[in-house]
Amino acid sequence: MGRRCGKSKWALLAAGLLTAARVNAAEAAGVAFFEQKIRPVLVEHCYECHSDQAKKIKGGLRLDSRAGWLTGGDGGTAAIVPGQPEESLLIRAVQHLEDDLAMPPKKPKLPDAVIADLVSWVKMGAPDPRDGALVEAKRADKSWWSLQPLRAADPAVGVGPEAIDHYIEVSLKEKGLALNPPADARALIRRMSYDVTGLPPTPEDVAAFAAAYRSEPQRAVAELADRLLALPAYGERWGRHWLDVVRFGETIGFEVNFPINDLWPFRDYVIRSLNEDKPFNRFIAEQLAGDVFGKDQPETEVGSAFLVAGPYDSVGNRDVVAQKNIRAATLDDLITATSGAFLGMTIHCARCHHHKFDPIPTEDYYRLRAAFEGVTHGRRVIASAEERAAFKAATDPLNDQRAKLVKDRDTLEREVTRRAKEAADKVVATRSKVNPELTEERFEPVAVRAVKLVMTASTTNPKSAGGSRIVEFEAWSAGDGARNVALASNGARAEGAKSAVAEDFPEAYGAHLAIDGLFGEQWFIGTPAVLTVTFAKTETIDRVSFRNAKDLMTEDKAQGATPTDYEIQVSADGETWRTVASSAGREPWSAAHAIERMRREVTTPEEAKQIAALSAEIAKVDRALKAVPPLREVWAGKYAQPEEGTFVHKGGDPMKPGEAVVPASPTMADRVVPSFALPADAPEGERRRALGEWIVRDDHPLTPRVLANRVWQYHFGTGIVDTPSDFGFLGGRPTHPELLDYLARRLVAVGWRLKPLHREILLSRTYRQSGAHRADAARVDQEARLLWRFPPRRLGAEELRDTMLHVAGKLDRKMGGPGFRLYKFTQNNVCTYFPLDRHGPETYRRSVYHQNARASVVDVLNDFDLPDIAFAAPRRANTTTPLQALTLLNHSFTTDMAQALADRLEHGSGASSSEKIDAAYAIAFQRSPTAEERAAGAKLIETHGLTAFCRALLNMNELIYLD
Amino acid sequence: MTVAPLELARRQFLGRMTTGLTGVALARLLRADLFGAAGGGVLPHFPAKAKRVLQIFCPGGASHVDLWDHKPLLEKFHGTPLPGGDAEVTFQGKNGNLMRSPWDFAPAGRSGKMISTLLPHMARHVDDMAFVHSMTSRTNTHGPGCIAMNTCFTREGFPSAGAWISHGLGTLNENLPTFVALQDIRGEPPNGKANWGNGFLPAQHQAVVLAAHQPLRNLARPGSISEAEEEATRAFLAQANAGHAEAHPGNSELRARIAAYELAARMQLAAPEVSDLSREPAHVHALYGTNDANMLKASYARNCLLTRRLLEKGVRYVSLYCASRASSVDGLLNWDAHKTLKADYERHAPIFDQPTAALLADMKQRGLLADTLVIWCSEFGRMPTHQEGTAGRDHNPDAFTTWLMGAGVKGGVSHGATDDFGRRSVQDVATVYDFYATVLHLLGVDHERLTYYHNGSNRRLTDVHGHVLKGVLS
Repeated sequence: MGRRCGKSKWALLAAGLLTAARVNAAEAAGVAFFEQKIRPVLVEHCYECHSDQAKKIKGGLRLDSRAGWLTGGDGGTAAIVPGQPEESLLIRAVQHLEDDLAMPPKKPKLPDAVIADLVSWVKMGAPDPRDGALVEAKRADKSWWSLQPLRAADPAVGVGPEAIDHYIEVSLKEKGLALNPPADARALIRRMSYDVTGLPPTPEDVAAFAAAYRSEPQRAVAELADRLLALPAYGERWGRHWLDVVRFGETIGFEVNFPINDLWPFRDYVIRSLNEDKPFNRFIAEQLAGDVFGKDQPETEVGSAFLVAGPYDSVGNRDVVAQKNIRAATLDDLITATSGAFLGMTIHCARCHHHKFDPIPTEDYYRLRAAFEGVTHGRRVIASAEERAAFKAATDPLNDQRAKLVKDRDTLEREVTRRAKEAADKVVATRSKVNPELTEERFEPVAVRAVKLVMTASTTNPKSAGGSRIVEFEAWSAGDGARNVALASNGARAEGAKSAVAEDFPEAYGAHLAIDGLFGEQWFIGTPAVLTVTFAKTETIDRVSFRNAKDLMTEDKAQGATPTDYEIQVSADGETWRTVASSAGREPWSAAHAIERMRREVTTPEEAKQIAALSAEIAKVDRALKAVPPLREVWAGKYAQPEEGTFVHKGGDPMKPGEAVVPASPTMADRVVPSFALPADAPEGERRRALGEWIVRDDHPLTPRVLANRVWQYHFGTGIVDTPSDFGFLGGRPTHPELLDYLARRLVAVGWRLKPLHREILLSRTYRQSGAHRADAARVDQEARLLWRFPPRRLGAEELRDTMLHVAGKLDRKMGGPGFRLYKFTQNNVCTYFPLDRHGPETYRRSVYHQNARASVVDVLNDFDLPDIAFAAPRRANTTTPLQALTLLNHSFTTDMAQALADRLEHGSGASSSEKIDAAYAIAFQRSPTAEERAAGAKLIETHGLTAFCRALLNMNELIYLD
Repeated sequence: MTVAPLELARRQFLGRMTTGLTGVALARLLRADLFGAAGGGVLPHFPAKAKRVLQIFCPGGASHVDLWDHKPLLEKFHGTPLPGGDAEVTFQGKNGNLMRSPWDFAPAGRSGKMISTLLPHMARHVDDMAFVHSMTSRTNTHGPGCIAMNTCFTREGFPSAGAWISHGLGTLNENLPTFVALQDIRGEPPNGKANWGNGFLPAQHQAVVLAAHQPLRNLARPGSISEAEEEATRAFLAQANAGHAEAHPGNSELRARIAAYELAARMQLAAPEVSDLSREPAHVHALYGTNDANMLKASYARNCLLTRRLLEKGVRYVSLYCASRASSVDGLLNWDAHKTLKADYERHAPIFDQPTAALLADMKQRGLLADTLVIWCSEFGRMPTHQEGTAGRDHNPDAFTTWLMGAGVKGGVSHGATDDFGRRSVQDVATVYDFYATVLHLLGVDHERLTYYHNGSNRRLTDVHGHVLKGVLS
C-alpha cells in the first residue's frame, strides 16, 4: 500500500545518505544507535521547529546537524554536552526539568523509553554523523536518479531471463538471502495463467503442463509463456491494467455524471494494441495525438480518446470566474494524467507554485497546458476516408432532395403566413392577454363531472404548450360561497401528461400538483397538453382559472412558460365534451402567436393538401437518411485552435495571469533529453504531436523506466519503484536500480514491445520460484521486496468475478463492443447509479467489458478494490473487509454461480458426491481434494445439497489467493 | 499476528459457536487489518474532546439569510439594488434587487440568538450551538461544492472527512461499520457517492450506506438458504480456510479474511438489531415525528432515530443527509431555491426541523453530546438578491453558515460575520479547511499531521490550509 508518513520518509532518506558518510569504524555502533533510535525522534518531535524545514527556527537552535546542537540556540551554550546528560539542556527540556522549557512544547511529554534512549545516546558521547557535509536533501534537483540517463549495460551480465536473475540474486546475496526453489507445476501455471490472461487454467492445461514440466521444465515454461501471451485474453488482462493507469471511466463524473456510451472503442483499441504487441512508443504517442499520426485511420485516431477519458465538470456556469476555474480544472486532469501515466512525474503539483520536491517549475505545468489548450471534452466522428466518402455518397442526394422539398414547402408557408399576418392585423382583441399569475374564464353555469383544459400554445412556443407549466388550476362552483371543486382535497382527480420524469421520485412534476392547493410545485405539461380534472361528484361551475405562479415576492411573474392558447371543455359523463370557453378573443401573446392562430383559417384546402404532401415527402426522405448507417462517433474529444495564448496562473488562480508560455517540453530532464518549444501560435495538433514524440524518445530517462517498472509491478505485485506514477522525490526509490535500467533499456532495444519483456520475466528463475514463506528470510525482508519468494497475492476484482463465471461454466468470451452494466441508473438532471441485485446472463462477460461508472459502487467489483476512477489507479489497493464476505456470501451473483456450478457438476461428472467433489476441485483449484476435504464436502452435500457446497467453494480462500 | 481467527474457524467448525470470538486479539486484528487505523500508536495526537461525529448535511445550498444569519437591513432595503452589485452575474445568471426573507427572525434561548421562525424546533438548541457565519467556498456549483464540504477538494477522488477519521482513528466497535452515510429517501446528494468515498484511502474507509429505508446491502442471507444450511456451509468453509491457512504460514491476509467472515456474521446480527426502530418506545417515535403524515418528514425522522442508535453503538462517523440532488426543477428535491424560495423552504424546513431538533435533544438527554461532535453543513449559501425573473435566490459561495455542537464546543457563540446583507463573509472569514481543522482538533488530531501519500504528495484532509476556529471551542 502506498501509505507513507512524511516524517519517517525523512529518516529513510537520511539513512540512505549515511552510506556515503565516512564513518569511523569505532563509532559505527553509536551511529547505528543514532540512526535507529535518535534520528527518528529528532525528526518526528524536533525538526518542526529546529531544522531547515521549520518555518522559523525557534530559539535559534538547530537539531538537524551536529554543528547545530554544538553551537546551541540563542542562549549560546551547547544544547548537548556529550557524555553528560544531566548537563545537556536538551535532555533537561525533554525530561521537563526546566520550568519554562518543557519540550516538545504544548505536547505530551515524550515516552519514558524515548527519553531513556536520548540519555543513553548522550552518555555514549552523542555520536552524530550529520557533519554538515551531509545536509539532508529536502528536494530533488536535476541530478535526481530517475532523471539520469539509463545506465549502460554491463556486458558481463548479458541479456535475457538470466540477466534478471543476476540482478535479483546480487541484492539477495547482499542480505544473505537466496531465491526459493522452483514452484510446483500447478502453482506455476496458475500463477502464469492469471498473470498473463486473468483467468485460471483448465484442469487439462494443468495436467499437460505438469507432465511437460517434469521432463523439461525450461522448455515447458517457455512454451506456456508463448501460448499464453498469444491468447486474446492477454490483451483483456493487460489492457485492463493500462485502463487503470489512464483513469479510464465511462461516465463523466462530477454532479451530472452522465454515462459515456461511446468511449468503449478506446477500451477496444487498448486491448487490440496490447494483443498486437504494438510498440509502446507508438501506442503512447497515439494516445496524445492519434488524430495527427493516424489521420483517416480510425484504428489509430481513436487512441486520442485518452485525452478525454477522465472526469470533468460539465455543469454550465454563468459566472465568468467560475468558468475559467472549471476550464483550468478540466485541463488539469489531462496534465495530471499525461505526466503520471507516461512520465511518472507529478507535474500537477506545480499548478500553483514551483514543485516543492521535484525540479519542476510552475512554467512546466503551463507548457503542458499549452499543448492541451485546444482540447475540449465531447464526441467526434472517427471514420476512414472511404467511410466518409461512402456516407457522403449515400446522403448527399437525399439531402439535396430534402432541401428542395423544404424550399417548396417554405414558399407555400410563407404565402400562408403573409395572409395570416394580414388577417391577424385586422383582428381586434376583445379581452386582455393571458396573465401568468392568473388567467380566468367565466361562462354560463353548467352542471358537469369533469373539466378539460386543452392547450395549444405557450408563452415561449406559439405552436405547442408542451413544456410549459401550471402551478394551480381551479374550477369554481356557481352561486354564493363559491368553492374550488377542482381541489384534490375536495375529492377531485387530475390527469395529464408530464414533460419531465424523476424516476426515483415519481411524485415530481405530475398533473396532481396542479390541484394540490399549493403554489410551489408546478405541473410540467407534457404532450398532449391536456389537463383533465374529474370532480368528486357532479358540480355546477361557472368559472375556471389557471396560473403559473402566485404570491411572488418580486416583480417577476413567471416560473417558466405559461399556456397562452387553450379551450375549456366540460363533460357531464366523462365521455362527451363541449367547449364552454377559450382563449379566442384574447389579445395574442405575441405577433407570432397571432399569426399562428390565423394560419389555419387562411390556408386554402389546396394549400393544405400541398403542404401535407410535401411534409410527407420530407418525412420519407428523413426516414431514408436515418436508414443510412451513421459514421461512428466516439468520445474522443474535440480540437480547436486556441484563441488565446497560455499564461502561468499565479498561485493557480486563472484570474491572475503571469508570464506567457509556449507549448514546450517540461524541463526536468533537459540535461539528458533534448527539449522542444513551439511558437505560441503553433497549430493545435502539432502541439500534442510534438509532446508525444518527446515523451517517447528512446533516450528519455523517464518513459522507458516508468513503463518497465509498470510491467514488473503487474508481474510481481510491487514495482521496483513502489510508486509507479511518481518517480520524484516523494516517490519510492528503486529496490533494484540496475535491474530497472536493464529492463528499461531492454524495452527500448526490443522496439518498445511488451511481449518480449514479459517472456524474459516469465522465464526467469525469480518469477518461477515458489511462493513458500521462510521465517528466516521474512525476518530480513518481511515484504519480500528483494524477492526471496514469489509474493502471493489475492485476485483482483475482475479476476475474481471472471473466475466465478469461469468456474460456473458461464463466462461469455465475446470480445469488444459496447459494455455491459451491473447497475441501473436514473437520469433526472443528474444521474444516479444503483447496483443491481440480480445479474442476468447478458452480463456474463469478462469484467473488462463492464461500463465502469464513476462515483458508483457495484458491490461485486468495488468491494474488491476496483477503484473509483476519479484519478488514475496505477496501483490498486488490496483490502480485506467484512463487506466482501457479505457480498460473496449473499449476493445473488454468488448463489446463481453456485447453482450453475452445481448444474455443471450434476451433468458433467460422475453420480457420486465424491466424484462431484473431485470435479469441483479440479475446476476451481486444478487439484484433487484430500480425503478429509472429500469427507467434509460429502457431508455438506448430503445434508444441504450440492449448491451449498458450491457456494462454500466460491468463498474459499484458495479460490481467491494465488501462490 | 495471532492465531485467534484459526481458533475461531476450528471452533466454528466444531459447531460450538458461530459468533463467539470476542477476544482482545481479534479486536486488534480487525482494527489493523479490516478497519485499518493509521496505526503506530500516533493517534490521537493529543487528548480528544470528541469520540465520534454526527454530520448533518442539507444539500442544495441552504440559504443562510433565511435560516441562521439574520440580516435586518435586507428587510429595510427590500426591492432596492444590492449596493455595488449591479447586475451581478452568478451561477444561473443575472441577479435582481435585494429580497427580504419571507420569514421573520426571532430571538431564541438565553443567548437571544436571532433564528428564522421557519425553524421553531431548532431554535431551542441555539444555546448549545456555535455558529460559523463567515464560511466561504471555492465553487458555486453543487457537485464540487458538496464534495468540497466533505473532502476539502472540489474535484472527485479525495477521501471524505469520515474516511480520514476512519483511517486515522479506526473503529469504536467490533461489529458495525466505522463510517455510515444515511442518504435521504429522495436520493443521493449532488455528486452522490463521492461525498462519502474513501478517495485514495483503502476501500474499507468509505462509508457504508444504510438508512431506515435502505438496509445494508447483502446483509441478509439469501431467502432460499436455511439457517441450518448457512451454518453448515460456513463451518465447512471455515474448515477449508483454516486448513489452507495452515498450509500457507506467513500470509496474514488469509487469517484476516477468515476474521472478516467472522465479523460479517457479527454484523449480520448487529446491523438489523441497531436498525430495528420498533425497539424504541412510542414517545420517542413521537418526539422525532417518525409517523408524521408528511412521508418525507417521517422518513427523515426515522433516519434521525437510526442515527442516534448507530452513534450509541459506537459508529465513529455518521453522515445524515436531509434532501438530495438537483432535479429538473430547482429546489424540488433539495435546498436549491432558485425560483420559488418560499414554496421550496416551506416544503424542506418542516422535514428538517422537528426530527433534527428531536435527535439533538435525545442525544443531549442521553449524555451522547458529551463525547459526540455534531456538525451541520451545506455546500454554500444563497444570494441576498433574488434571481432575475424569479422569487428565488442564486448560489452564493462567498457567504454561508455552518454550526457545531456537542463535545468540546462552546454553545451560544457565533464565529465571524457576513456584511450587512449576507452577500459576503467579511469578519473572521472561514473556510472548509478551518472547519475540518477544528473537527479534527476536537477529535484529538492535528490536521497537519494526519497524512497519506498519494500521487506525489503527502495528502491531508485540509490540503495545505486550515486553522482551528478557536472561538467555537469550549
